Amino acid sequence: MSKTKEEMLKALAEAVVEYDEDACKELSQEVLDRPELLTPMEAVMNGLAAGMEEVGRLYDTHEYFVPEVLMCADALYAGLGILRPHIPKSDAGVNAQVVIGSIQGDVHDIGKNLVKMMFDVAGWGVHDLGRDVPLEQFVEKQLDTNSEVVAMSAMMTTTMLGMKKVIAMIKEKNPECLIMLGGAPVTKDVANLFGADGYADSAGNAVSEGIKMIGRLREFQAAKK
Amino acid sequence: MAELTSKERVIKFFKKEPIDTMPVFSGMGTVVIQAVNEMGVKFAQVHTTAELLAGSAMKSSEMCGLDAVCIPYDMATVAQAVGCGLTLYENSADILYPTVPNKWETLEAVNIPADFMKRERMPMVDDAFKILVKDGRFAVGAWQLGPFTLAGQIIELGLLLKGAKKNKEAVEAFLTKMTDIVIESIKHYESLGVDFLNIREMGSGTDLLSPKMWNSLIQPHLTRIFSELKTPAVLHICGGTDMIVPLMNQCGADALSFDQKNTLTKTREVVGKDVIILGNFDPYGTLVQMENPEDVKAVVKKCIDDGVDAVWPGCDLWPDVKMDNVKAWVNTVRECGKKASPAIGRL
Repeated sequence: MSKTKEEMLKALAEAVVEYDEDACKELSQEVLDRPELLTPMEAVMNGLAAGMEEVGRLYDTHEYFVPEVLMCADALYAGLGILRPHIPKSDAGVNAQVVIGSIQGDVHDIGKNLVKMMFDVAGWGVHDLGRDVPLEQFVEKQLDTNSEVVAMSAMMTTTMLGMKKVIAMIKEKNPECLIMLGGAPVTKDVANLFGADGYADSAGNAVSEGIKMIGRLREFQAAKK
Repeated sequence: MAELTSKERVIKFFKKEPIDTMPVFSGMGTVVIQAVNEMGVKFAQVHTTAELLAGSAMKSSEMCGLDAVCIPYDMATVAQAVGCGLTLYENSADILYPTVPNKWETLEAVNIPADFMKRERMPMVDDAFKILVKDGRFAVGAWQLGPFTLAGQIIELGLLLKGAKKNKEAVEAFLTKMTDIVIESIKHYESLGVDFLNIREMGSGTDLLSPKMWNSLIQPHLTRIFSELKTPAVLHICGGTDMIVPLMNQCGADALSFDQKNTLTKTREVVGKDVIILGNFDPYGTLVQMENPEDVKAVVKKCIDDGVDAVWPGCDLWPDVKMDNVKAWVNTVRECGKKASPAIGRL
């Protein structure tokens, strides 16, 4: 028997929670095959992203740890890869771009990749500079692309200080650009001190914060309707 | 009361023999920028020659009044020696520790050269240890990454973390290979005459891994490492550790070290009075950021009140310390550390 809309959304969410990439792909294809049931955008936001929110809850309650979260992210991307090309630009919600990367001296990028996932889900144009990114590259890429947001992560205290310089350089050339900081050593005080506009307030990780941002985005999308 | 030398104090400390006062030292990178500046070199250079590595370690401990030296400062020595390259950041105006630019993309592709201890900077680190041991003023500490954290330097961490669930046998075999490397290198440092060792399995805390996974994937390798060592050896893990304290305590280390995320009073209850506990102040938040040395004093006192046997930073010292804050750390330990700590008596 064919799934109802609610059953389909639940199945998509569960496939993410159970890190079942194959199920995510099959269900996403089914969404495309049955356009009368729900739109690809609904499937992403209320199916895949809702599943990732549940993953965040499981991480916060120590039922899931990073290996599980990463596999759930793979499952989400498996579905997103199928659904995203079918979301019309006008339906994508946000027409914006972000420059993202781990700062020079930092070769860690798990937290950065999870935050990137949030932007991918939201349909932003993502310019991922990777890890160990020289400070000037953030500035150059922002100017080249005129991105609305620059998101930087530092997993180690030792590299965090470079963020301050990048913020100053970007704000000097483009005061409108919003800067987000994330990573283990970044606190609200540090973000304020450095002149950032936002921060991932996770003292120990960017994992739950990246996922919570998906939740906030879903609320934002729902409020728009 | 007989006063011990710095070296004697640390050696007796790890033997759990009575000492005159609590030693002040660390088992992680301990270099301050004031020492590097006084030597007239750039931070990037101190990782490149035995004279500068050992010289900056001794100069730092002299300036700060510490009982030990501990090298190396960066996590990349072994990863570089097995072929992952090195970025020194020589042109950066900031203080950046060397990192590895290349990691293998699959477990199967990893090829560890049998003579890795003779490659790249490994002989330089050996020579630095020889200089420190010969100098004799300070206890000499050597640290090495634990197998899981070392693996994360050599291959993509995401691959390792997902593999631990999806491809357990391959990850297990890979970690055995990493454990062999850790044992070979750390036993070599032991043979050079260092006074204590520290295995830093810092990427394995419960921010990343579940206690269940820690038990099956991490603990057996650490237990094997500690069973091979004759020199006193510490197990250090940073990040979330509260849930794995009993497991850490079963690995056979002579002491356990935690960072500021650990609930130390609870940990002391769990392990009892006989286990040496080291920790657990935030080195950046305390020695770099605090404006008033009195605040540093309060942090250090709290560590002692919570039940540590020596007040260790939770990670490498961030080199750009305020020297007044370092003095506050050292002086507070000297002052408050005259009383016996849970595991170590006093003369």
